[in-house]
Amino acid sequence: MDFASNLFSAGTLSQILVGLSRTTILFIVSSGMSLILGVLRIPNVAHGSLYMIGAFAAWSVIQFLGGGLFAFLAAMLVAPLIVAAVGFVLERGFFSYLYEREHLMLLLLTFAFMLILGDLVKIVWGPEYRSVTVPAFFQGSAEIFGLPLPWYNLFLLVVGPCIAVLLWLVINRTNLGKIARAAAVDGEMVGAVGVNVGWVFAFTFVLGSFLAGLGGALIAPMVNISLGMDHSLIMETFLIVIIGGLGNMWGALLGSLIFGLSQSLGILVWPQFGIAFPYLAVVAVLVVRPRGLLRSTW
Amino acid sequence: MRKAVSFLAVAVAMLCMAGSGVAGDTIKVGFVDTYTGPATTFTNDVLDGFKMAAEKINAKGGVLGRKITYVTRDDKFKPDIGLTMAKELILNENVDLLVGTINSATALAVSDLCRKEKVPFLVTFSKSDKITGEKGNRYVFGMNENTEMAGRAAAKALAKRKFVKYWIAGDDYEYGHAIANGVFRHLKTLNPKVQLLGESWWKVGETDFTPYITQILAAKPDFVIVATGGGGMVNFQKAAQSTGFNRKVPFYQHAAIDLSTLMPQGKNAPEGVYGTANYLFYYPDTKENKAFVEEFRKTYDRHPKSGALYGYMTAQFIAKSFEKAGKVDREKFIDAMEGMTLPSPVGPMEMRACDHQVTLPMFFGVTKKSPKYDFLIAGDIVPVPGKDTMPSCAEIAKARAK
Repeated sequence: MDFASNLFSAGTLSQILVGLSRTTILFIVSSGMSLILGVLRIPNVAHGSLYMIGAFAAWSVIQFLGGGLFAFLAAMLVAPLIVAAVGFVLERGFFSYLYEREHLMLLLLTFAFMLILGDLVKIVWGPEYRSVTVPAFFQGSAEIFGLPLPWYNLFLLVVGPCIAVLLWLVINRTNLGKIARAAAVDGEMVGAVGVNVGWVFAFTFVLGSFLAGLGGALIAPMVNISLGMDHSLIMETFLIVIIGGLGNMWGALLGSLIFGLSQSLGILVWPQFGIAFPYLAVVAVLVVRPRGLLRSTW
Repeated sequence: MRKAVSFLAVAVAMLCMAGSGVAGDTIKVGFVDTYTGPATTFTNDVLDGFKMAAEKINAKGGVLGRKITYVTRDDKFKPDIGLTMAKELILNENVDLLVGTINSATALAVSDLCRKEKVPFLVTFSKSDKITGEKGNRYVFGMNENTEMAGRAAAKALAKRKFVKYWIAGDDYEYGHAIANGVFRHLKTLNPKVQLLGESWWKVGETDFTPYITQILAAKPDFVIVATGGGGMVNFQKAAQSTGFNRKVPFYQHAAIDLSTLMPQGKNAPEGVYGTANYLFYYPDTKENKAFVEEFRKTYDRHPKSGALYGYMTAQFIAKSFEKAGKVDREKFIDAMEGMTLPSPVGPMEMRACDHQVTLPMFFGVTKKSPKYDFLIAGDIVPVPGKDTMPSCAEIAKARAK
């Protein structure tokens, strides 16, 4: 097999587009994690569990409304809100008591919550596999040089940039965003000028959780919704956040791009080892820039 | 302080007592299996099938005047935890025999322990052919089909078809490789004309198969052997449906026609996917199968899946073998198990004496829509008897002598 000729074939473009749609999900989830890392300094291991709850909740909402495009769109909003509520309880009820303590404590607590939430999902939804159907509106696929690209993937390609722009607006153009960024740099000072830092943190965590839930809801039509989907994602999300630069939103985008594209293009070059490419990319980045590609807030 | 110490002592003593169980008046079965994470969807059925059969046996007075009881331990899908749990069940719980696991690596580790400890171990769900093949021993029994049997069953069915250029794709772990190689190796012997165009392997738990599918389509194979397990089955079928893969290139997945794969997808599973399964609740359309399905539905309010059959038959084999042995003795139990034949929902099952592998039939079929159910079922079902898919006793002896 001639590897180079593979890279410049009709398949490459569709492969890039597929990689980009995968990037979208990764970006949405990892931007939430990055936000929480940057502002609250919580390395949230339970972030993957929130994503899993998002997927299961989306399934429940769609079941409840009986399917169809409206049910799907409703689920895209309601499921992340449910996850945001879970995030609120986690932050106010547990994590907020540990900000003054060692990071290790927070890490352990979030790890505990990963296990607890995993079991909670099993109690609430049971061990059966769940599956959400792509709404009829997005069914089928477009043909690009004779190779299929599902419409739903194209839909994700549109959603991704929208989320990125919205996030950027929230963080850079709203007062809340500005306060959150200030609190990340110097929480004490922000408190001293009369801002209730606790609520800023709560808001940030809820927003981050919402993003995790949104990622889970968006991926629901593409995958088998099952226990354990949190584990497979949390690894990738952490790696993305690390190579992008801790707490850096654009870093999360860059990291997701590297992760998503290196895999889909890697498959073209060397199909048996498609898995390894994202990890090789991570190694390459960390060798060159151990602190991540963009400025870390840590 | 003294109070605390005495309290602790009492607590420890109580725990020890709770652990030892009252031996002698029951037959105690220890389950080591995965009860957390995605595998639970399969292991729950094994346990439920077992429970249903055991309760029926107990209601009739049990075995040798004893009730069948069981304890479960969660191995979290990890071989090292599974091994620890198995040891604990043997040493603290004094179980008479062990049942489990869905993870092949765990099953092999526990099988080795059981050989040393001389405890019978009935394997439910692990698919590695090493369990009753090259790593088989006196104390281990295979209660379900293995990759070798699935491979031979699929190869038999595929050899009759005209496909030449094959592509292999699958989960990059032992099960994936074993299934894919099993199918292709036997296919090549049955039909030397077939050729392997290429392979793709993805990590276990891969969620987005679209990039792999586009790459496979670009290579234009005649047929694809897809070796996914567990949740990957549904993931891959969803991707096949959204990319139209199944309408462009036919493909085979072991367990593609299995209820656990098709039911979650409802009416939107891809049609025309070739698959093999161990058990289908709507086939064979016999009195025995209908009765089993009816009973399972009455008890648990759902259709039984493959695991339910494994668990149900495991309980039957345990009861009948102890009865035949005439006393609760592990060695006599094993002697009784060897060659034991029992009626089952899918026809008579024999525990083959030479390798301790149960002769289970396999069903080859193609996914299709059905007016009766709100999910896809298998059509064009070809049953393949267990005897036709199992390696011969001579082959087993050769593999074990290595």
